[in-house]
Amino acid sequence: MTRSWHVAALSLALLLLAGAAATAAEIDAKRLMNADKEADNWLTYHGSYKSWHYSALADINTKNVGSLREAWSHVASRSVRGLQSYPLAADGVLYYSGSYNQVWALDGATGEVLWQYKQKLNEDLVAKQTHSPYNRGIALGYGNVYMGTLDGKLAAIDMKTGKLKWETKLVNSEKLTVGFTGAPLLVKDKVIVGAQGGEWPDRGPIFGVDANTGKQLWRFYTAGGEENNGDARNTWLNDSWRTGGGGGWMAGGYDPDTNTVWWGTANPAPLYDWSGPDWKTAGARPGDNLYTTSVILLDPDTGKLKGYHQEVPHDAWDFDSATGEFIMLERGGKKYVVHPSKSGFVWVYDRNAKVQNVWRLIKNINFVQDIKPNGELVGRRDMTAGKHENLCPFIAGGMSWNMGSYNPKTGLLYKVGNEWCMDLEIVKTTPILEPMAQLNIGANFNITNPKGDKAHGHVSGRDPITGKLTWEVKFPEPPLASLLSTGGDLLFVPDPRGWLRAYDARTGKELWKHNNGQGHNGGIISYRAKGKQYIAVATGWGGLAGDDYPSFFGGVFAQMPKDSGVLKVFALP
Amino acid sequence: MQSGRHTPGTNDNPSTAPASPSATGPASDFDVNQLFASTCGWCHLKGGREAGKGPKLADTQLADGEIIARIRNGKPGQMPAFGSAFNDEQLKAIVGYIRGLKP
Repeated sequence: MTRSWHVAALSLALLLLAGAAATAAEIDAKRLMNADKEADNWLTYHGSYKSWHYSALADINTKNVGSLREAWSHVASRSVRGLQSYPLAADGVLYYSGSYNQVWALDGATGEVLWQYKQKLNEDLVAKQTHSPYNRGIALGYGNVYMGTLDGKLAAIDMKTGKLKWETKLVNSEKLTVGFTGAPLLVKDKVIVGAQGGEWPDRGPIFGVDANTGKQLWRFYTAGGEENNGDARNTWLNDSWRTGGGGGWMAGGYDPDTNTVWWGTANPAPLYDWSGPDWKTAGARPGDNLYTTSVILLDPDTGKLKGYHQEVPHDAWDFDSATGEFIMLERGGKKYVVHPSKSGFVWVYDRNAKVQNVWRLIKNINFVQDIKPNGELVGRRDMTAGKHENLCPFIAGGMSWNMGSYNPKTGLLYKVGNEWCMDLEIVKTTPILEPMAQLNIGANFNITNPKGDKAHGHVSGRDPITGKLTWEVKFPEPPLASLLSTGGDLLFVPDPRGWLRAYDARTGKELWKHNNGQGHNGGIISYRAKGKQYIAVATGWGGLAGDDYPSFFGGVFAQMPKDSGVLKVFALP
Repeated sequence: MQSGRHTPGTNDNPSTAPASPSATGPASDFDVNQLFASTCGWCHLKGGREAGKGPKLADTQLADGEIIARIRNGKPGQMPAFGSAFNDEQLKAIVGYIRGLKP
């Protein structure tokens, strides 16, 4: 072989190797479809399309978790309102986002920074936003990191270099005030992302965007639907759909079997209505107010509405359905979708959104007497203008937006439940739209203890279909971070005071704890890098629900920083 | 409870959402009690009588000018800036509301 042939052969081999590596690393539709089979990675906000928030990794397990130690950490700069995002892990690299739409790529084994990205934002606008400047998550695919921005754009950042590839303006945030904080969902070659806004005078649009070009392909207005696509404006008398609310502000789910996107929507605006029992004909927004506080089924390719279920018709309490994962399960040959909501109830659907069961995660609920297993609300507590006492749960919800975890080994769904109530005074309001939209709550209120009890939180392991309790652990304040269960029979619970605990997933026995120095209000994952299993958790306090903790719970929360974020990563020695 | 498959509607209203003529912003019929319950009460609990996400406003030691500056400029990560949302007359009305708060 001549020298030139030798060089050519070597070059060809390197090219082939690079090609193979690129192929292995490419996150495409097929790989996302099988994300649950990649135990080493955490490729989407919900872990996979099954939305289990479960890692099959078992190197760290009930027998050795007592030896778990901090391996490395990364400080997220400018973490105003803490770190609320969900890390993702792909092929040994950890990606995560922070406040002001910053993104980092880190070596998963060492934490070394590979690149960092900072979105150019309209900071004057961000200063005017209430639900800001946090970001709750990103999506990976086709060599990109996708992120919705505070000022209403979808950005695609090169996974390898951290450079902006394209950005597409989707929401007129300068006028509507809200933008994006929730994670996008990648389905095939579409990026799907929902705008903020329950108690805001927008109409909660959800967008489908070409994952490669950034071109907006479709939009679905959750409040009132659209002409020839779920037009439901007749469920809002007096044209009240125009100031509707209904934002799909958290990442939805996807059912590949039926090619259906499941997305939860927020409450209508104003948040509190003064109609009382006459809500079908009176008040700020007479009618059912479709498709707010609903789960909607969309065709990911066209954005066409395929079906829906409104969990709370004419929601007058902010118990919206935008929170809560869509957990895809199979049991006894039947396929289910389990969807927890802020109301404190958990809905169980078939794959066509027909209600199969509804069960209670929390004890203190009185906005309705009950919700029947077929989904029917019984004994609604619709309030008129004026004072009302002891409404349960509190506006922050019987569950917050943080995610639970389903463990296929134990068959249990682990969720945080919140026991708290409120007194309020409903006030008739007029939406403020000029010069830019403002929050439209419609009440003054304060948080209270449940009657005969003290406000608190709990984490329980339950049957996801029936709600049957296996075990429960109480917390003095509701945890506001997401949970992780693993193939090592562990459940990790990051708490508000700063403790990260590991429990035996079968019994609820505490096996390990570590103080991270500040409260948790974000995500937690497990992944493998260079052959070793890691647990990565977002730390940092200051979310909107937690903002009530210093005045109500006091204690450590009075001095806890609200502008600090650290990603903490743990491993066995 | 309501659920179903989608049937296209016949409403001819535009799919965009311009401001409803009846939905007014800052205007001559401005009602500060409404404004507070709409935009402020979520953080300043019990109408500003108790601390919540934001501080208790009743009996504040801040001077009028300081209150107005805080509303205009906000505080990063804690309070939005309302400088472009409310005019001077409205800001004065908000100060009047705070000064008038009774336990």
